[in-house]
Amino acid sequence: MLVQLLIDSFSIGSFYALVALGFSLIFGVTHAFNLAHGELILLSGYLAYTLGKHFNIPFVCTLPVCMLALVFVAMLLHQLLRRVKEPFELNSLVVTFGLALLLQNAMLYGFSADYRLIPLAPVPTLDFPRLHVFITKPQLTLVGLSLLVTASIYLLWRKTFLGKALRATIQDREAARLAGINVEHMSLIAFILGGMLIGLAGPLYAQREYLHPFGGMEATLIGIIITIFAGVGRIRGILLGGWILGGVESTTVFFLGASWRELVSALVLIILVIARPAGVLTKGARSAKR
Amino acid sequence: MKDTKITKKSLRVLLFHLFLPFYFPNGIKFIRFQQRAGSMGNCMSRFFVPLAIVLFTIMLPEGGFPADAIRIGEVNPLTGKLSKHGLEIHEGILMALEEVNAHGGINGRRVDLFSRDDQSLPEVAINQTEDLLYRVRVVGLVGGYVDALVGPISELAAKHRTPYVASASLQRSLTEGRHNPYFFRVSQLNGVVKPLCDFVTEMIRPKSAAVLYTATPGSTEFGHDVEACLRHAGVAIPIVEKFRPGTLDFSSFLLKVRRYQPDILISGGFFPDHLILARQLREQKIPLPAYLAPWGIAYPSFVEEMGEASEGLFGLCAWNPGISLPGTEKETVSFVEQFTRRFGKPPNTTTMHGYTSARALLMAIERASHGGNELSGDAISRQLRSLDLILPMEHLAFDQKGDPKHYQQVVVQIQKGKFVVVYPPDRASGKIMER
Repeated sequence: MLVQLLIDSFSIGSFYALVALGFSLIFGVTHAFNLAHGELILLSGYLAYTLGKHFNIPFVCTLPVCMLALVFVAMLLHQLLRRVKEPFELNSLVVTFGLALLLQNAMLYGFSADYRLIPLAPVPTLDFPRLHVFITKPQLTLVGLSLLVTASIYLLWRKTFLGKALRATIQDREAARLAGINVEHMSLIAFILGGMLIGLAGPLYAQREYLHPFGGMEATLIGIIITIFAGVGRIRGILLGGWILGGVESTTVFFLGASWRELVSALVLIILVIARPAGVLTKGARSAKR
Repeated sequence: MKDTKITKKSLRVLLFHLFLPFYFPNGIKFIRFQQRAGSMGNCMSRFFVPLAIVLFTIMLPEGGFPADAIRIGEVNPLTGKLSKHGLEIHEGILMALEEVNAHGGINGRRVDLFSRDDQSLPEVAINQTEDLLYRVRVVGLVGGYVDALVGPISELAAKHRTPYVASASLQRSLTEGRHNPYFFRVSQLNGVVKPLCDFVTEMIRPKSAAVLYTATPGSTEFGHDVEACLRHAGVAIPIVEKFRPGTLDFSSFLLKVRRYQPDILISGGFFPDHLILARQLREQKIPLPAYLAPWGIAYPSFVEEMGEASEGLFGLCAWNPGISLPGTEKETVSFVEQFTRRFGKPPNTTTMHGYTSARALLMAIERASHGGNELSGDAISRQLRSLDLILPMEHLAFDQKGDPKHYQQVVVQIQKGKFVVVYPPDRASGKIMER
């Protein structure tokens, strides 16, 4: 039972990480606090739903289409936020909140208030009867995809000049500009990468949860919480943060009951923010000051 | 009706903008110049007359309709998390209203509906109700979904002595323990809990059961009632859990279900919760003989989205196309036809709750205004209390607390994508299918 709990925790944690990656990346590089993150995920989910339902396109094939479409949407969002005046963080919050409302109503008009979900094909399960453990295909997909995406971004981050430039922009925009990095260009790239990740998360969200025009807030909250867990711009931290949150939630529900889930998660978040203000992978409060 | 509302609003905005140039024909400086030039009277007439017209236009109670129209108000979650069911109730209310107006209105007077969106938020519900009561001056209120939204509306309606017929409300404390002569509702918790408990104890006869409910007032009361009823019947309940609406994962909860292996899981969650729960049940191959949920299962859209995963699940409903109060089959067929023609989709049980509540209010208004009597909140409430209607959903009569006397849901099971009534026996249309 405990092994199964661990597998479930990794699965839900990986899902959280996939949902949060786009938000974290855009926020890290551009400081744009995107409150429409959840709505963009839903938009991608609705696109995958429409492609599957009305054009009979297999789920796997909808993923690249959604990623491409959301790159386009993210570029539009970048153009919109470029016009936002200082204080940028606060104003971007207001603009994206307005955008979230706009998208909610557009989705209500386009897709009605009915709940939608992308159906799962008959699910093959890996059974280990002696251990009383099983792993479903969606669980494997989530863990595999989250590892793949995190590893890809990590390699981009660490092994390419573009990654170094992006990291430099996250650390200090002015210093990066003085070092000759085109910060505006980096912002656009962050939005393109973020759009791809949001485009990937949307169909998975529609398959694992459900689509509703006003259901984006949950995804936005996941993005914000995991970014706080991980620390800004820390890609490995996002996956670890997702796993920690998934583990805390699953263990709490199993041992204490479902009504304790939010309380215990909030407590862990508060403790982490106090003990590791710069993120879960940093070494204590001192690292934040440096 | 929604279109009419938009037109009125647009008209008010248009009028405001039309008169705006009168304030500042050449900007504020021009008015100052006029004052200096000593032509004060001219300035006054140019400034205050249009101002008076604009103020009059703004303060008009949503103008444009005949003065003798009867105004009723509706507050529903038309946007936000509860918008699916809010919109369904709204459509049911619209149907009832259009039927009445198509037959010449009430005693020759047209009925106007003023729809307000509470955005699924109690504080917005309060603001919108205040607007309807104090500015629009409606004679009655209808609508409302979930007690967190219905509760505040009922308080305001009582304060303003305006009758309110709630479409979907269950919480006992809204009618018990306090006297609110202006509050009525077409549903009540006993009409859900009793058939559910009877069905479980008589037909399923479980040794153990798991009870899950959400942290909303109605669902919490439901959870407690079901737990008490099953314990009383000698059923062991190893799992009783409350969860927050909008929970995205139930896998850890289902691990407990796997561990204790209850004979039935009774879930007081809502439509989206069942989408996740039922899918995870299937995905994780939980050995569960029966899954029963009062809200969210008996909807065609649930079957459409879940497909085969919905087969064998039990739900409850007060009405559905094909499931109506005995003796009202013809009326049901006619309603379904008209509704489908009007909205391009078939109605469901929530739509019928909206329709029933609106029918009750309209009938009470008709009786209260009979013979040219002036409409008052007290007169309409008196008529509501003495109402006795046979409608497709229920035999509608209110008790002294405002609860419906005869509201009873039936238990249905999804079999080959259809809702088959399996309880009570006198209304059953089929037998229970093993999962």
